[in-house]
Amino acid sequence: MAQRRLSAWIDTFGVVAQIAFRNLFASRLKTIIVGGIIFFGALLVVAGNSLLDSLDASMSRSVIGSVAGHIQVYSDKSKDGLEVMGSMTMGDQDLTPLDDFAKVRQTLMTVPNVKAVVPMGISGALVTSGNTIDLALGKLRDAYRKRLAGGLSAPESAMLDRQIEAEKGHVRQIVVLLQGDLKNLKAVADARAISADDAEAVNRAASEAFWAGFDKDPLGSLEFLENRIATQAADADLLFIRYVGTDLDSFGKAFDRMQIVDGTAVPAGKRGFLFSKFVYEDQLKLKSAHRLDQIKDSRDGRGSLIAKDLDLQRLVRENVAQVREVMLQLDALKTADFRAKLQKELGSTNADVGALLASFFDTDDQSFDRRYAFFYRELAPALELYRIRIGDTLTIKAFTRSGYVQSVNLHVYGTFQFQGLEKSTLAGALNLMDLVSFRELYGFMTADKLREIEQLQKAAGAHEVSRENAEAELFGTKQTKDDTEVKPADKGGAKAGAQPHGKHVVADATPGVSPEIPELAAGLGQRLRREDLVDRVYAPGETQRGVVLNAAVILKDPKLIPQTMKAIEDAGKRDGLPLKAISWQKASGIIGQFIMLARIVLYVAILIIFVIALVIINNALVMATLERVKEIGTLRAIGAQRRFILAMLVIEAMVVGLIFGAIGAGVGAVLVAIVGKIGVPAKSDIWFFFFSGPRLHPFLGTTNLIVAFVAVLLVSAFSSFYPAWLAMRVTPRQAMSEEE
Amino acid sequence: MAAIVSVKDAVKNYTLGKVVVPALRGISLEVRGGEFLSIAGPSGSGKTTLLNLIGCVDTPTSGTVEVAGKDTRQLSERALTDLRLHTIGFIFQSFNLVSVLSVLQNIELPLLLQRELGTADRRKRVMTLLERVGIREYASHRPSELSGGQRQRVAIARALVARPQLVLADEPTANLDSVTGQNILDLMKELNRTEGTTFIFSTHDQKVMANASSIVRLADGKFVDRISPRDAGVHPASAPA
Repeated sequence: MAQRRLSAWIDTFGVVAQIAFRNLFASRLKTIIVGGIIFFGALLVVAGNSLLDSLDASMSRSVIGSVAGHIQVYSDKSKDGLEVMGSMTMGDQDLTPLDDFAKVRQTLMTVPNVKAVVPMGISGALVTSGNTIDLALGKLRDAYRKRLAGGLSAPESAMLDRQIEAEKGHVRQIVVLLQGDLKNLKAVADARAISADDAEAVNRAASEAFWAGFDKDPLGSLEFLENRIATQAADADLLFIRYVGTDLDSFGKAFDRMQIVDGTAVPAGKRGFLFSKFVYEDQLKLKSAHRLDQIKDSRDGRGSLIAKDLDLQRLVRENVAQVREVMLQLDALKTADFRAKLQKELGSTNADVGALLASFFDTDDQSFDRRYAFFYRELAPALELYRIRIGDTLTIKAFTRSGYVQSVNLHVYGTFQFQGLEKSTLAGALNLMDLVSFRELYGFMTADKLREIEQLQKAAGAHEVSRENAEAELFGTKQTKDDTEVKPADKGGAKAGAQPHGKHVVADATPGVSPEIPELAAGLGQRLRREDLVDRVYAPGETQRGVVLNAAVILKDPKLIPQTMKAIEDAGKRDGLPLKAISWQKASGIIGQFIMLARIVLYVAILIIFVIALVIINNALVMATLERVKEIGTLRAIGAQRRFILAMLVIEAMVVGLIFGAIGAGVGAVLVAIVGKIGVPAKSDIWFFFFSGPRLHPFLGTTNLIVAFVAVLLVSAFSSFYPAWLAMRVTPRQAMSEEE
Repeated sequence: MAAIVSVKDAVKNYTLGKVVVPALRGISLEVRGGEFLSIAGPSGSGKTTLLNLIGCVDTPTSGTVEVAGKDTRQLSERALTDLRLHTIGFIFQSFNLVSVLSVLQNIELPLLLQRELGTADRRKRVMTLLERVGIREYASHRPSELSGGQRQRVAIARALVARPQLVLADEPTANLDSVTGQNILDLMKELNRTEGTTFIFSTHDQKVMANASSIVRLADGKFVDRISPRDAGVHPASAPA
């Protein structure tokens, strides 16, 4: 009996479904319109969400993997919020430093989900890179010094002479270029805009007389060139670079996508600088060469064509117009070499190397690959491709928080990149520096500086003078007991005392060297600067003690970011540290919010589509109900309960929703699978960051299928409420009416 | 045989806006099982209203209507629906078949609503009835593919399939030509005789009335008289040439 009832139930449902199906089929157009909207909605839910999820995942990989970590921690006393990817402004955020990173680290490591903590400070500074004429003049000066020093063998002397002539030729070449520039300037600018002094200096340097008399006073001539000419040949510019001061060792371990490209990593415990490969290429490479690289990347990587791509055309034009940077590097020998090679390559008889270079750089899609190869094979070996070489010492000047200019010399060990983010402007914007140098540039008192000052003070017999007895100190009236603190003889420290000079030196807090104390200048100060600091090896963990601005936290389980943030702040409170924890999304500023924004747009679009779907389906069902009043009345008359009618209509709506929703979700899934296989190419550098590589491979999230299913179900259900209510009010009497 | 329908002083008023329109003004009537009763009268005489009351599609404003021993005014909406499902079969003037279902499915509907028989039993019952009404070969057709007479046969089969005690037919031949109409009436009569099912049908057609066992005449919502066809001066149409 029960079984029979069950089978009867199933049969009833079958009939209800059948009526529903057949009704749908009978009104095909309506069904297709309604279904089409649902189809599109489901497709959008699945495809759009999958795309955003993948974008979210890849971008978070980029942000987390390059600098942010999962969570950033900084002082909650800070005036500004922390933005590790750099705010839109160049300036630093006003962050209150965390006094002792070692303590912070200890506290953070008590939180169970914390895997690693990387100390950080992010700032920016100006860097001057080498100037071609300065370098050439420097070499010339060295050579003359050598000659003046004498004591050379005949072949050595002959070689030196040749070198001097070659360098002189190079400098003359530069002067001629400058003269040409001046002529061009006269043609376009008001004569008053050109300094008469500068013009005169260039003309003098270009004159035969100047070079004929060069050797009479080589050092004087060089000085003239350095003071009057080099200043005009400003091909070197100030470079603004952003850097993260960090414990380089733990940084490399925590951000394992980081890899060294050129040179080496900074040896453990040493101070040093690593350029981001992107910055190194983009800012420090010879512009012509970098533009060739960019064209090649775009052609090979993205299949762009010079003929079609406006950007590539611009790069070619710039290369044609800006051969000067290459020309400045050419001395007489190289000029001749380039002329011969270019004439042969281009089949030209033009003797003007500038014109030859311009026509060489004027490439199209046919000639590009050949020219690119030629450039690197024949021309590049004679050129300095980078303004700062690996192994050079970089002088970084920064304004400290208190407004002083602080400078630090750092050895450039190499370049690095984050795997998958090679082309990303954003991931490549930050360079790396050791934490000690960062602290110095930022204006913190480091242990080294304290010691340096202490030693200088001791050596100079200097001591702190309070305001009350400043007069006595300065004018020698020994009245106060403070005098007893003057230490005429040091126990250790410098041998040179202040006593021979017969007066105290009022504490010179800047680590500069007093010219009045030559022993110091030659000894302690420079020694501390040059040898001690550059070559000093810090014990593991030693750099970690002291001030940091923020710290990146890497988690064991990245899914627990909010909980861990709470745990970190609680641990901070417990240990009396003013810790504020923010997620990587927040720490990456506008970039982190990009996904949120895109998601809101998508959800609004989906919402609109579903609201439209709801209205249209509702409308269609109301129409269908009104058309079928007689049929519904008949069903009621022959004994169908109201719930049967309700089921019939709801099933009708559901069937449309589910069938078309399923097709939409299916097509969306297939679309995601296809696009996931091919990958969405990163159109520009910024997309490399968002895609965490050259292509985004979207993946299908099962959650999205469920979301689509639920959304479709809800829309179908809601849209059938009103028509179902109408249908349930149909009385069997309406089956009898005959007004047809 | 006991009365299957018992109507006492039934009054039915409809409200059209603020106006109360009386449709039935106090009618009493008894129908015994096995009758082949015709309700006759001009348009607006209350035929359909009376059928609606008997068919449990409506309840009286005052008075009582008892169907199969149940006072319809005492029944809930659900119980009335149930009563219709199990006791009454309906034949409509314009057939009222579900257009998207086949002939077989249309006839099967009441059985499905009853949920008492398994698939095989249902099919057997439907096929037997299809045979009886003479449209077996149209079982899988849609109503739109059938003629008016064929459709009414389907409707008759549907009304009878659940074996109701009572079949109500509201002007069953009004939309048919006279020959087809007569065929339909003959079929109903035959089923009345062989199955013992009580038929009540309304009509204003004299020829149709002639088929009835007795005729209840209405005028202006009032009972006029109950007569035999002979008394009414109408004769059953005996196969006109």
